[in-house]
Amino acid sequence: MSAPSKRHVPLLLGSGKSVAVSRGKDKKVTLSLTSMIDMFTILLVFLLKSYSADGQLVTVSDQLVLPKARMETKVELKLEIQVNNSVIVVDGDPLITVTPELLNSGNSIPVLVTRLRDHLEYSRLSRGTLTDDDMKVNIQGDVGMPAILLQRVMASCSEAGYVGQNLAVIKIIASEGGDD
Amino acid sequence: MAKAASGRSRTVKHVPEIDLLPVMNLFCCIIPFLLFSATFLEVVVIEMAATEGISSSGGGATANLMRSEEDRLQPKIIITDQELFIGTASGSAHVAYAIEIELNGEMIISFPWDSLSMKLEEVHELLTEAYPQIDFRKITVLTVEETRYDNIITAIDLAGAAGFDQPGLQVAPTASVTSAMAAGGGN
Repeated sequence: MSAPSKRHVPLLLGSGKSVAVSRGKDKKVTLSLTSMIDMFTILLVFLLKSYSADGQLVTVSDQLVLPKARMETKVELKLEIQVNNSVIVVDGDPLITVTPELLNSGNSIPVLVTRLRDHLEYSRLSRGTLTDDDMKVNIQGDVGMPAILLQRVMASCSEAGYVGQNLAVIKIIASEGGDD
Repeated sequence: MAKAASGRSRTVKHVPEIDLLPVMNLFCCIIPFLLFSATFLEVVVIEMAATEGISSSGGGATANLMRSEEDRLQPKIIITDQELFIGTASGSAHVAYAIEIELNGEMIISFPWDSLSMKLEEVHELLTEAYPQIDFRKITVLTVEETRYDNIITAIDLAGAAGFDQPGLQVAPTASVTSAMAAGGGN
């Protein structure tokens, strides 16, 4: 292998120093890593601050935009119902298409009640008993959905036996304000 | 050792350099890991009181508010498509008129939320002073069918900040909400 020509300036890394052979002379030029270390340190602090040991428990669908609130209650892993203006999804399974007829009354939705009861019964059979936590549900609603749709979903949950209904929202950071 | 012309010895001190490469390697491992596990949007929940189905006339929505003394005093935020009210089953007060704002090219109804925030704090203070034996934490959002979800959440959020952290939701047709307010006195 031929020696590097003077026109090429090889960067020699990994020998304890970051050095490069300067063009035309035999002097070694040290590459200063200090500024990069500074940048990495800032980045590291920022990432550590936003690190979550719990991970993302809730998967937010692309099809909906969650509203924002200043609440502090942490989300827990529960049965998820996602509602937007076109469909109601239970546990990732599209169940009901939202039609104008669906928005005509405020009572529970029979199909949804049946599906939720089945899920509750499955939980009861698989675990032998039901705890309070099993009877909670997370509802992810799109910002634009009408109140009547939320009412019907919540009424369905109550009728099926899910006494705890949590509305998932995006937490507003204190410095962010709440005007949006 | 080299000697200067003056005869003094000139020693060259070599300051040992800190080897930063292991630190760089460590950073290069940690940063991608943290980037993957970082959560920039934190999802939290609002715990709601159990809601019930309502008849098309919306009668259940107002009847439920009359159950007990505590329920009678329990404040409610009433959201219609034109106005925002606050009050109890014995009366309601106007808070603000609806405003139309443009969001993503679409005109939507919103409200001056600062007014509601102030009123809620005022109501909580008044109720706590007047009835110290009752812990006022429940509040009901009574709204018409068309109200947007984000307006409901904002109202609940402001109520929570004012001390009413056990929200409930009731939805009724506009006519029922209007008649409920009329029955409550509207003052």
